[in-house]
Amino acid sequence: MIFKTKLRATAAMLAMLAGGAAQAEVTVLGWPGGPEEAALRAVTEVYNAKADLAAENKVELLFTSREGFFDKLQVDLAAGSTAFDINLIATYSIGRYAPFMEPVTLSDQAGAVFGDTVLKTMQFNGAQYGVPTDLSLHFLYYRSDLIDALMADDAAKAKYSEIAMQYLGKAMEPKAPADWTWEDFVANALYFTQSINPDSPTRYGTVIQAKNLLFNMMVFHSWPRSYGGNWMDDSGAITVDSEAFRTALSQAKMLFDLGATPPDSTSYEYAEANAAYSSGQVAAMVQWNAAAGELTTAQAATGTTAPPAGPDGRYTHIHGLGLGLNKAAENKEGALAFLQWLSTEEAALAYAKAGGAPGLAAETAAKLAADRPDLVQVGEYASTYGFVMNGGTAEKALAVYEAQAKEFTGYWAGTQDLDTALKNAAASMAELLK
Amino acid sequence: MKQERSVENAVLAGPIVLFLLAILGFPTLLSLVYGFSETTFQTLTTPEFSGLKNFRDVTADPTFWQAAWFSLRFGAITAVLQCALGLALAVYLAPLVRRHGWTVAILIIPMIVAPAMMGLMYRLVLHEFAGPLPHYMYSWFGWSPSFLGPANVFKTLVVAETLQWTPFAFLLFLTAFQSIPDDLREAAAVDGTRPWRLFWKIELPLMMPTVFVALFIRFIDGFRVFDNIYTLVGAGPGGSTTSMSIYIYETFLRRGEIGKAMAAAILLFVSAFVILALAQRLMRRRTP
Repeated sequence: MIFKTKLRATAAMLAMLAGGAAQAEVTVLGWPGGPEEAALRAVTEVYNAKADLAAENKVELLFTSREGFFDKLQVDLAAGSTAFDINLIATYSIGRYAPFMEPVTLSDQAGAVFGDTVLKTMQFNGAQYGVPTDLSLHFLYYRSDLIDALMADDAAKAKYSEIAMQYLGKAMEPKAPADWTWEDFVANALYFTQSINPDSPTRYGTVIQAKNLLFNMMVFHSWPRSYGGNWMDDSGAITVDSEAFRTALSQAKMLFDLGATPPDSTSYEYAEANAAYSSGQVAAMVQWNAAAGELTTAQAATGTTAPPAGPDGRYTHIHGLGLGLNKAAENKEGALAFLQWLSTEEAALAYAKAGGAPGLAAETAAKLAADRPDLVQVGEYASTYGFVMNGGTAEKALAVYEAQAKEFTGYWAGTQDLDTALKNAAASMAELLK
Repeated sequence: MKQERSVENAVLAGPIVLFLLAILGFPTLLSLVYGFSETTFQTLTTPEFSGLKNFRDVTADPTFWQAAWFSLRFGAITAVLQCALGLALAVYLAPLVRRHGWTVAILIIPMIVAPAMMGLMYRLVLHEFAGPLPHYMYSWFGWSPSFLGPANVFKTLVVAETLQWTPFAFLLFLTAFQSIPDDLREAAAVDGTRPWRLFWKIELPLMMPTVFVALFIRFIDGFRVFDNIYTLVGAGPGGSTTSMSIYIYETFLRRGEIGKAMAAAILLFVSAFVILALAQRLMRRRTP
């Protein structure tokens, strides 16, 4: 009797689960565990609540884990998985996944909502492969209390000039961070390093996340780009072994050698670098815009501006996360309808209000000025300073980042010289981007 | 009667043989196919035979040899350290364990933690600004070594691996030590043999087969290390902490060079097999 009751209860539960699953016919594999997940959940609720949406086109979300996400996605897509209709893509991995995805047509509003620069972060070989949902770029974070104290103290300014003269060969004056060149960034880092200036209130002037990791190369790229560096020229020739990369790599190396960045920096990624800055022992750093909340909470006197400038101007690497169509999707029609809606102003605003970080055109961002002032800054920097390296969306772009990470971190750690690092990087890139 | 038993054996062994063929045989076969083919993620189902090209590419890749040298050094050093420490602990703590068996449970705690978790834990513990170890060193001495900096990272990894897996060697040696008949020790004591001489001349020679097995197992484990290093420092600046397993993983998933990664995996398997054969031969010679 008890057994039969249990059996009936189990059958009823399974039927309920099956019914629930049958209602959600468009499955979206999203980026798990951060503001992106919360925002995607919020807009999905808005979409599913639409009265004219057929039951078989309702959206269900699927989240796994961030650890090894893109590797697992690669295997799933290559295997022709039908477990999801829509999947996450990133600017640097579009080329890798494009053979297993289908281009999409966005809504008529997409151009006005996101702007061309941001839409391009989801394009490969001229085709649109996804809706941009979140935009990542870099800010220069600095301790405004320390900079203000330096600017107000003549003795400190003299010391600053003396240190700049000694290490950079120029008697430089301290400046407001919004006017910094990379040389100012280096001079400031040296001044705020206790091993160079025992009076420095911080142990280190900066923190460079230099683990052998592709994302760390993205943070670094704004530096050589501002000196005119690029991966390839217009003819497709590899141009990484250039004066621009040489200058940027050498300047960073100077910071490692002089102890202006923690000696463990070669094992640092996002979290470790943030912890260093948050501890109050670092004066300034270049970091992802996503860290703004964490860093300003830990150090209230934190200012943000665009990364420093070089002779070619001021630049910030940008890349987007987005959602695109799985070639093996079982409900392409429903998936395309959701993607089109996701590229409307209604969806973009809802996504932003729920904590996402879409790269919005100035006019759209202005509508969020009260709720999300940071998005106005992100939108402005993306359109003014944003860049994607030539080849940055190629099929093997991720591997290019990996190759550079290996060679450049090796140079910074002192395991190889600059010529070898650049020669090896150029050789790997020529093989990967041919 | 004999034929009946043979059929019975086949029926009983059949499921496990099929299971092993499916679980181990299929991936092995696939690895062999990919190892000798030009394969990418787009051509997983249609690999093109390319002979020994992948093996030539792997052996011409300096990063492969860098990884092989790292794995060899790491495997050898950690195996020797773990076995030396494990042996010393087993002999020293044997009387205590005999009286209080539960102490073994405490001693093997590090072994229970997943290696990936261990890597993440050290990542936090050794961080200059968030980790307790550097924090107290700065508080007490005004200085802390850069545990994960280029100069110390290899030593830190060796210490972390040794601390985690010494209990494994300890368990093996404790079992071997406890299985030595007490009659031998008593006879030696009656003859007036000193403890040090008892250890060198009687106990250690009797434990030698276990020492070889422990050294072999720990070397293989150290040679193919992946999880704790990958979560702690990744491939390392300039690939300085790239083990063979990390090399294979990155070649396969990050660079998408599936054939080359499989060729490296086959070479790793063959080298482990050769080492196993040599160790067995050595053991047979040593065993009286």
